[in-house]
Amino acid sequence: MFSTSSQRKFWTFSDENELARHREKHNLDYISRHGHQIDEYQRYNFFLSPEEERLLLRQYELHLKEFCKRFSPPMPKGVVGTAFHYFKRFYLYNSSMDYHPKEILATCVYLACKVEEFNVSIGQFVANIKGDRDKASDIILNNELLLMQQLNYHLTIHNPFRPVEGFLIDIKTRCCTLPNPERLRSGIDEFLEKVFLTDACLLYAPSQIALAAVLHAASKEQENLDSYVTDMLFRDAGPDKLAILIEAVRKIRSMVKMVESPARERVRVIEKKLDRCRNQENNPDSEIYKRRMREALDEDDIPHTGPSRMSLDTSGVTQVLSPSAS
Amino acid sequence: MDDQACPRCKTTKYRNPSLKLMVNVCGHALCENCVDLLFLKGSGSCPDCNVPLRRSNFRVQLFEDSMVEKEIDIRKRVLKDYNKKEEDFATLREYNDYLEEIETIVYNLCNNIDIVGTNKRIEQYKKDNKEIIMKNKAKIGREELELEEILEIEKQMEDLRRAEISRLEQEAKKQKIREKEALIDELMFAEGDAKDILNTFAQSIAKKEEVDVVPIVPKVTQFSTGVKFSRGSGSQHNVPVIEEGPLYKYEAPIIPDRCGPDPPSIQNIINGGYLHHVRAENETEKAGGYSSTLPCLRALQDAMAGLYHAS
Repeated sequence: MFSTSSQRKFWTFSDENELARHREKHNLDYISRHGHQIDEYQRYNFFLSPEEERLLLRQYELHLKEFCKRFSPPMPKGVVGTAFHYFKRFYLYNSSMDYHPKEILATCVYLACKVEEFNVSIGQFVANIKGDRDKASDIILNNELLLMQQLNYHLTIHNPFRPVEGFLIDIKTRCCTLPNPERLRSGIDEFLEKVFLTDACLLYAPSQIALAAVLHAASKEQENLDSYVTDMLFRDAGPDKLAILIEAVRKIRSMVKMVESPARERVRVIEKKLDRCRNQENNPDSEIYKRRMREALDEDDIPHTGPSRMSLDTSGVTQVLSPSAS
Repeated sequence: MDDQACPRCKTTKYRNPSLKLMVNVCGHALCENCVDLLFLKGSGSCPDCNVPLRRSNFRVQLFEDSMVEKEIDIRKRVLKDYNKKEEDFATLREYNDYLEEIETIVYNLCNNIDIVGTNKRIEQYKKDNKEIIMKNKAKIGREELELEEILEIEKQMEDLRRAEISRLEQEAKKQKIREKEALIDELMFAEGDAKDILNTFAQSIAKKEEVDVVPIVPKVTQFSTGVKFSRGSGSQHNVPVIEEGPLYKYEAPIIPDRCGPDPPSIQNIINGGYLHHVRAENETEKAGGYSSTLPCLRALQDAMAGLYHAS
């Protein structure tokens, strides 16, 4: 149940400013760790600004969507939703300069396949990736544990898909004024696809998102389900609760409306910039990464490197720095 | 002892001081190493007489003459069955005849006289006296137990006494040292005649020794009820008393706050027409225990839960 889940307790935030604060903090963290010699005014010429990071991640969320759509064997919706959740959660506490979104993207999808019980082997999985497949499977398997750690092992995701089914059953049963509710489906699916390109799943309950999707689809079909919400769902609840829900639905719908794909040109510039300023220790093509992997192979008891996060609180997250990272 | 040697590898006690000779039922000795070597598989035959032997029956030779060992073995085996007591016979004459018979059997088996006939005799005896043998066996077991108990108690008493003695000895030693020091102090600092001081000290010591007899505290070996710590369970079967707490009371599980409107109950789902709008389970699924009610309930629960969520 969502109300007792770790998703609600740790991963549902109060507003967009809080998300922005987290992202900015980790952007600054990265810069202070890797660029203390560059002075304050010049540093965004070299590093990505928080806005640029956002734009880049938006682009990669689109990639994620495309990747899942083209995945063979075809993927259930739940896997896609879960992968989106993981991706967003990961970059809430990590900078895209530290870990390249390309690599985390694939790892998120792979982990989501496992968690949602969509059974594909790593061989089958990388068959969907263009380029060097052995390298890709190495990267994914190397990053998998890191990803789980950064998610604080909160792997259960409550997606809005089942609540949508629940609402449709409920509407069919209790709200006979709406003819043929099945025709809402295409609108709902379209809406939910776009929802995952926003931060809505980090701010609202899955059932609220589902209800927003149903209401949106209904209004697109020139139907009105307001009476269903006010007279049936919220009959016993107070007006204050109804007000909260109406505000949430309004906000989710406006967020979805605002979704736009980032400009190609800008993203290309940002990607070039990222190639220079990314953390070479986490770049599988870099010398330093290769050397470290060799060392790790040579000795079994390597000290733990890289950032680790053991406890998660809403006040912000401290990253324990290992000597090699500073 | 010096001429003790293993008949197989010819090792002597002189050459190998840790040599241990072992004997089995046939009475032929072997050293420990040879036993390990020959009976690696657990069984084999004696190199002297080719009698099949089992490794587990080997034991350390106690007597120099290995024939004695053989006789002990045989006697033990025979007495297992010939375990009648004097009480079992009407007259002393009969009992003596019985003992004589045992000796004859043991002698025959030891010296390989009419082994087949003797073994037959034993079998016959076993068959005839089955009940008495069993009864006596149980009796002997009980007697042995009692004997062991007595030995145990004696051992405890002995330990106690020894500990007490050593304690007293140490106490006395300490006391002597203390007195000596006191005497020296006295001699150093007092102004009286040295002889007088020596005399008074000697007297006080003599007095003290008379007083210093501390009563021995016996170690507790039994419960206050008189049951021994160790082997009370053999003879008495005490059923442990089970403490009965308050009776179990059913409490309905606490349903966490759903943070949303209440979903319909299962009864409502079945009666309220919800099931018309979900795929009904087919025959195969029904056989597997699947019913469409639960997924329907789950979808509705998920839809309702969290609707009141406020950030």
